[in-house]
Amino acid sequence: MISVLLFGPVAERARVSMLQFEHRSGLTLQQLRDELAASHPQAFEIVCFTAVNGEQARDPQLPLKDGDEVAFMARFSGG
Amino acid sequence: MQDVKEAVRIQMEDFSQDEEIRALRASSKRIGGIATFLGCARDFSEDREVTQLGFEAYGSMALAEMNRLRDEAIIRFGLLDARIVHRIGTIEAGGQIVFIAAGAEHRGPAFDACRWMIDELKQRVPIWKKEVSPQGDSWVTPHP
Repeated sequence: MISVLLFGPVAERARVSMLQFEHRSGLTLQQLRDELAASHPQAFEIVCFTAVNGEQARDPQLPLKDGDEVAFMARFSGG
Repeated sequence: MQDVKEAVRIQMEDFSQDEEIRALRASSKRIGGIATFLGCARDFSEDREVTQLGFEAYGSMALAEMNRLRDEAIIRFGLLDARIVHRIGTIEAGGQIVFIAAGAEHRGPAFDACRWMIDELKQRVPIWKKEVSPQGDSWVTPHP
């Protein structure tokens, strides 16, 4: 399973802050994003940053492993 | 003896600027200047009244990024020490949000580092702000 984390404005739009996504062989970050964006289009409209296991991930072709934690995040507004 | 708190923290509770500065000063007697930044909760936003702010963080990643930021600032500006504290949860208008302190041998690097750390924090640390107003709540979402 992949644990998907959503925070703040993204979680509010998706109406959920954590999702479990079935892992499959060859799954990439882009594929995960596309599939989730199809079911939560409003939430993914504002996604600017992605992190895998707490590190920003900039390569959409990054292969995901079973047990990975993936966060889709809006632009930060702390401070 | 009082426990010294971690130099980088994310916490619900309020913080004491005096305590943070005391901890910073205790780290080295070579410090000749300390610059600080205190972020406060404004009671307005674009002509709307704001009664509270709500902050949510991706805790583990935010803390790691804040620690990285402090380490980078120490090297980049030759600081003797630095502290960063950010609150999450609900903060009433007028309350304290974030505190940054940079200690250096001279004032120039302390000022520069303090400014750099708050600017970088806003860009790099996964924390989100919600404004609560009589007209309703809204997340602050800077445009991509």
